[in-house]
Amino acid sequence: MKTAIRQSGDVAVVDLSGKITIGEGDVILRDRVHALLEEGKKRILLNLEKVSYMDSAGIGELVACYKRAREKGGTVKLLRPSGKVQDLLQLTKLEEVFETFDSENEALASF
Amino acid sequence: MAARTAVKLVLPSDVRLVELAHAVAEKMGEAAGLDSGAALDLGLAVREAVINAIVHGNRKDPSQDVELTFTRGSRGIRIRVLDRGSGFDPDSLPDPTAPENVLRNSGRGLLLMRAFADEVRFRYREGRGMEITLVKSLGSPRRGIEAAEGRSEGVVRRT
Repeated sequence: MKTAIRQSGDVAVVDLSGKITIGEGDVILRDRVHALLEEGKKRILLNLEKVSYMDSAGIGELVACYKRAREKGGTVKLLRPSGKVQDLLQLTKLEEVFETFDSENEALASF
Repeated sequence: MAARTAVKLVLPSDVRLVELAHAVAEKMGEAAGLDSGAALDLGLAVREAVINAIVHGNRKDPSQDVELTFTRGSRGIRIRVLDRGSGFDPDSLPDPTAPENVLRNSGRGLLLMRAFADEVRFRYREGRGMEITLVKSLGSPRRGIEAAEGRSEGVVRRT
């Protein structure tokens, strides 16, 4: 999995591409989100548009990032989950936990 | 691909090898005529069974192997994943979608297996380990286990 981080106002947008899976994508996601939180960047938008799928380890890491951000007084929101990723969020009922947006402008305005 | 095809993999308990098991399942599904979405589902189901075997069954001990048998029958693909662990009761595990569990970091593997395979069966093989059998039908869904059981290998029964 690859990531690129850009700042839009006070929101850190993390563009993810590839898959969030055990031993690779999950570790990268954790490292990126932890680094942002350590830098004091507490408003994080994960752009999932180019993420093809996640496994249970990747989903677990997404949840862990959400909880860690919340502990630090921050929040993690999701942008444009793809078909399979959306299916997984629905199946696991995490769509009821994460705020999810199709529009980046709407997502940025929501923080 | 011939009507009867079997592939066997024996993997050390290294999570980097989960990718290999997923790839074999997905490619076998594609070769058997599954569309790309169904083949990916099969790969995802196998991925979860192997993660379960490595992380929970073998506790990431690289000296403990995970044995996979991929079998294509005329109407279904059956994949058996056998670890060296002490087994578990799949019916006793908490529902990961229950409100009190939805924010847990783990516990979703069985949910995903059941979502992405047509049949999932569990059996503890005394002295050997836990065996998870996944079936993806090549025809009408939910008839896959019978289709795959038509193969020459033994029938897996839930205990």
